[in-house]
Amino acid sequence: MTRVSLRGVTKRFEDVVAVDRVSLEVREGELFTLLGPSGCGKTTTLRIIAGFELPDEGSVFFDNEDVTYKKPYERGCAMVFQNYALWPHMTVYENVAYGLKVRGLPAREIRKRVDEVLELVGLRGLEDRYPTQLSGGQQQRVALARALVVEPKVLLLDEPLSNLDAKLRLRMREEVKKLQKELGITTIYVTHDQEEAMSISDRVAVMNRGRVLQVGTPIEVYTKPANLFVATFIGRSALLRGKIVRADGRRVSILTRGGFKLEGTGLGVRSGDTEIVAVVRPEDFSLSPLPDANIIEGKVELVMFLGPYKQLRVNARGERIIAYVDPEEEVKAGEIIKLYIKPEDVKVYSAEGWEELEFE
Amino acid sequence: MGGSAASKLRKLSFYLDPVLIAQLLLPTTILFLFLVAPLLLVAYVAGQYSIFDVLSDPTYFSLRPRGQPVLILRTSFRGREVTIIKVVGVSFGAVINSLINAVIVTAGATVLGVAVAFVFARYEFPGKTVLRILATMPLLLTPFINVFVIRKLFDWRDGIISWFVCDVLGLPLRLGVDSIAGVAVAQIMTFFPLVYLNVYSSMVNIDPSLEEQAENLGAKGFRLFRTVTLPLSLPGLAAGSALVFIFSLEDVAAPIVFNEKRFISYQVFSKFIEATTGQLSPVAAILALILLLLALTIFASIRRYVMLRQYAMLSRGGRWKPRMRKLSAKGLLAIYLVLAPLLVFLAFPQLGVIIYAFSERWTGPLPQGFTLKNLWSIVEDPLVSRAVINSLTYSLSALALIILLGISASYVIARARVPGVDLLDLLVTSPVAIPGLVIAVGYFYFFTTFFRGTPLDPIVSGPSLLLVLAYSVRRLPFTARAVFAGLQQVHIALEEASLNLGAGRLRTLVNIVIPLISLNLLSGALVSFVYCMSETSTSITLGGLGGVGESHQAPITFIMLDYLNRVGGPHIVASLGVLLISLQLLVITLVNVVFKQRYAYVGV
Repeated sequence: MTRVSLRGVTKRFEDVVAVDRVSLEVREGELFTLLGPSGCGKTTTLRIIAGFELPDEGSVFFDNEDVTYKKPYERGCAMVFQNYALWPHMTVYENVAYGLKVRGLPAREIRKRVDEVLELVGLRGLEDRYPTQLSGGQQQRVALARALVVEPKVLLLDEPLSNLDAKLRLRMREEVKKLQKELGITTIYVTHDQEEAMSISDRVAVMNRGRVLQVGTPIEVYTKPANLFVATFIGRSALLRGKIVRADGRRVSILTRGGFKLEGTGLGVRSGDTEIVAVVRPEDFSLSPLPDANIIEGKVELVMFLGPYKQLRVNARGERIIAYVDPEEEVKAGEIIKLYIKPEDVKVYSAEGWEELEFE
Repeated sequence: MGGSAASKLRKLSFYLDPVLIAQLLLPTTILFLFLVAPLLLVAYVAGQYSIFDVLSDPTYFSLRPRGQPVLILRTSFRGREVTIIKVVGVSFGAVINSLINAVIVTAGATVLGVAVAFVFARYEFPGKTVLRILATMPLLLTPFINVFVIRKLFDWRDGIISWFVCDVLGLPLRLGVDSIAGVAVAQIMTFFPLVYLNVYSSMVNIDPSLEEQAENLGAKGFRLFRTVTLPLSLPGLAAGSALVFIFSLEDVAAPIVFNEKRFISYQVFSKFIEATTGQLSPVAAILALILLLLALTIFASIRRYVMLRQYAMLSRGGRWKPRMRKLSAKGLLAIYLVLAPLLVFLAFPQLGVIIYAFSERWTGPLPQGFTLKNLWSIVEDPLVSRAVINSLTYSLSALALIILLGISASYVIARARVPGVDLLDLLVTSPVAIPGLVIAVGYFYFFTTFFRGTPLDPIVSGPSLLLVLAYSVRRLPFTARAVFAGLQQVHIALEEASLNLGAGRLRTLVNIVIPLISLNLLSGALVSFVYCMSETSTSITLGGLGGVGESHQAPITFIMLDYLNRVGGPHIVASLGVLLISLQLLVITLVNVVFKQRYAYVGV
């Protein structure tokens, strides 16, 4: 098992800084995800690790070995490409066997290992098909098998599920996670899908504009976003702009533009900040009173039943709030309701960078 | 950025592994040695002599025209009073003649080509496929012998036109086109399809809504054509016309067949007749340099122009259906009474070559007797069969080099992220514009100067090796372009996947890249091969350096020229023409129908 470290890696394409001073430690055997919107530098980071790109600054280490200048074919990692990059002129068997042939393994050994890996990904019997004769999901498995069969030091996955339809994506997600755990290969996974990242990863690095903004377990990143970008990129939160009235350690009192006085937790507030954004996750709103809770009153505009919960769209003095509540609750559009929020669920960040955020 | 030279070198070596370096160095070295160096040597030799010696010689340069453009003679011919009208043209010396001729030929070919392209691109009518095939027939290369047929058409004595007008229609007229005018007519007939094909492909790529918009605003008929259709077809027009201009300048077949010495190309060629002694007149270098500069100027300006005028078409996603209109009865009549006979006439030289090959005699206006003995003589006549074997050997050897260079150069151009790749691209494509005669002159100086007395000296060992190299360099662009087009369609991730799994560059090239571009490679190689087999300029000049004997080293085209003036020779030349036509048709079919690729019609 291999540990991957990036130290101060920077990559520019002409005037664009694609990767900006990125330092990361990927632990042995973990599934580590680079998560961020398109153009955030996650794929470039992955390509630097694979050896397709040379960083302008910084280095890449596999364990204690500096591999920055090593050619892709000297690194011993294996990548699953977004478009799978299966060779159309080779059969499934030939595609999967390629890496072993390159390594000069005897034919019997190759046969055995290809059979095993095809068994593992559930493709036995399709050895003689060509990639064009396979479904998207099957192609995905071939790509995965081709990478796994060489027992790579590091497995790199570049948005591997993005070309699959929604249902298949969920299934493959589970399979990838299961395989990775079984084989224990250090894996770096690139995706822009936060739900995918949350569900599959041991740890996540959230990236934007070439920089790593937060590294942590999915729970850490979800419950304690380090900054406004992470807080808004992950989940679908209500965003309330306002000012700080009083700060006492992490506990802050704020006044929103709509005039609500709220008690919250300062996660990304520096002393001196006055303009802030309060972020509240939809599931943190409650219709039943809670002790010491903040109260926001508003008019229900829309009610949607979504199975495990009801989604309410509430207009609270001009602030638009999405709240998930118990599906059993009797709420109708047009009603005036009170929403209760615990102070620890009102996460307060400096409004700096607000303009650069992109909203759906 | 990492500033120091060492770190820059380290970065460069990350992207350039040994295989890529070899792929960069091999074509660069070969092209510098066997293209750039000989051309520089031509310039150097030319610089040793005063260009004014040439310009002050009225053979080459004169401001006063000599001769009368049209000769009219009333006389008795074969017992009949007739008026002979013979168009011959006037001469201003070889340099000016070549230029004026190129201008006239370009203008003529452009008018013909645009007209034919417009009809085919915009109108639908029964029999169009046949006419389109006829229109491309002149591009089937049949060195010398097609011009020989053209001369036969326009000969005032026994020409087909004269015979038709005087003997069939009974008019007291005999018409002829000969000398300088004959060369112009022959070249227009041979080269107009270059304009037609380029303009046609421009026209079918015009977004129909652009013309519809203009019509909507009230433009129609010729005004629509002049203000919208033609300007939008300019890139194709420019490319086609420029090619015609360059081909006209360097064409040596028409002047030779019309025995018209007053052209640069003929002058350069004629200097080679004495070259077997090891000496080539320096005038050849000066004339070759003039030829080269003219061709390169046109090539450079057209490259810029065509790039400037790449009109971006606003496409709505899928490919549009070109505007096709049905023709009125009047229009149809014009097609069948004017266009069809015109295209038959323009394709006649190639048809004539076939007729020649299968006829016993064709001394009068009409051919006589059917025979297969001409075709048989390709095998039977030892000189001819040897030439065929020579050409095959040279072309196949050249092909091996072309494939190696083409893959290497195109791969580097398409994939390597290093400076200077544009220069290699230019080197690889420029042979299209470089007259073969100039290469012949350059090779002569290059190999007799630097390799004098060695086995590489053509005077010592004959021209075999020079011809292989000349064919390789001249026909490289076809394969290189095809490979490049193929590489652009191979997603880079397919190569990265291979590198990523531990395969080096060479292995990736052999196992992944080449199989994926094999159809493009094969198509390009076939086209290169066909144009090696029919190569003329260096074949008839360098090809003679070994002499013509039992074990001669001359290729097909040299023997074709050699046999042209022998008794019964044209029939054998025509048989070789038929052989080349068959080869070209086979390759066109393979490339278009079997491999579904585009056949590149540029040769000479």
